[in-house]
Amino acid sequence: MDLFDKNFREIFSAQLVSIFGGLIVGSILAIYTDKILLIPGMLILLPGFLEMRGNISGTLASRLSSGLFLGVVQKNGFKAKIITANILASSFLAVVISFCLGLMAYLFNYAILGVSAPSIILILVIASIIANAMEIPIALAATFYLFRKGHDPNNIMGPFVTSTGDITSIAALLIALVII
Amino acid sequence: MKKKINIADERTSTIENRVKKAYAIKNANKIKDNDAAKNSNSSHLEHFKHHKEIKKHLDKLRSVKREKSHPLLHKIHKKHKISRKTLFYIKEYGTETHAFETIIKESIKILLFASIISAFGGIALERIKPLFISIVPLVILLPIMNDMLGSYGTIVSSRISTMLHEGKVKKRLLANRDLLHLFLQIMIIAFITAALSCAAAFIVSAISGYPITLHIISRIVIITLIDVAVIVSLLFFIAVAAGIYLFKKEQDPNNFLIPLTTSIADFGNMVVLFVLVRVFF
Repeated sequence: MDLFDKNFREIFSAQLVSIFGGLIVGSILAIYTDKILLIPGMLILLPGFLEMRGNISGTLASRLSSGLFLGVVQKNGFKAKIITANILASSFLAVVISFCLGLMAYLFNYAILGVSAPSIILILVIASIIANAMEIPIALAATFYLFRKGHDPNNIMGPFVTSTGDITSIAALLIALVII
Repeated sequence: MKKKINIADERTSTIENRVKKAYAIKNANKIKDNDAAKNSNSSHLEHFKHHKEIKKHLDKLRSVKREKSHPLLHKIHKKHKISRKTLFYIKEYGTETHAFETIIKESIKILLFASIISAFGGIALERIKPLFISIVPLVILLPIMNDMLGSYGTIVSSRISTMLHEGKVKKRLLANRDLLHLFLQIMIIAFITAALSCAAAFIVSAISGYPITLHIISRIVIITLIDVAVIVSLLFFIAVAAGIYLFKKEQDPNNFLIPLTTSIADFGNMVVLFVLVRVFF
């Protein structure tokens, strides 16, 4: 039973990519603790907000990859209807899920801490819109680029969007905090 | 009839046209090789019947709900030799105009579930927030651990689903060499990556001015390793148990195990961290 086989090396490499993205987010959190983590309820919504970005962009990349392999989406067809529908759906999902997460954090703050801060919902929705504006073009461009170069985007986009999604989400959250 | 298909569904009809073309070539060769004397009018009739049959089956596939689509996908795949992936795409996005609704309908429940589960984990940490954010290496490690354990959830789920489909998971689970092999591989990688993450967190914390002492290092390393061991074991147990259950119910474990295990990884990570921070600090 060879434990250190090809699978071991592949999983290990993917995990290193995952650690890199998490490390950047963790460092930003540590630097801006007073701005991000001191807001009541932020620890409730932060894990869900970070996970949501990876989930939405990951499935977007996966759907586009399937379309590219089937020939339904053309290599340079950024303006195809199916891509527009995918972008709109991903944006809509991000806003709805962010709103729900914000609402949960607000209710927790109100019920447990006795703090009424509805601005937390607004912060999350704005952060979600900003993160989408950054992450969707990255996911689209990377998927098309990898496909054109002869790679299977399914194997690479998972850890890639998880890492970039985490970074764009935390950057968007900081921007939203500055705006609000 | 062909014009109608094109107007209703341009993309799907492209796939259908390809299939029709392939059938036409296949049938033409068949006729040429095996029965050259056969009347050409009867071959045209045969082609027409084939095309009509494919269209009928694809239309039927589009109208079937997702949870009922698997047996039909399999039948059409067997009968017409069209790849399962192509059939799945036709089923999911029958017409381009439906893509938006399909994506929303399919994704929103599971995304909400995953986010809410993660948020519940966050509630545990929120209760010890002043203590938690005072330990800078733990703040840095939180997103790393969430990402890392979520990835293990995905890997364990997809590998166990494949093993179930291949018939490698039998009754005597504890004596199963493939399962043991996978468990040991994931556990070794988890320990190595956890140790690397701790090292990276200590370096960043030291750069940012946080005092890194032997006392802090030992406690955080112990917390991280216990967290990883508990969550990876839990993920493995859940993936095997739920995978076997779903497989017996004739459902594809791939569709349920990944969102289930990634959410449990997030939730579990924060709850275990909450308990360990209270114990060690």
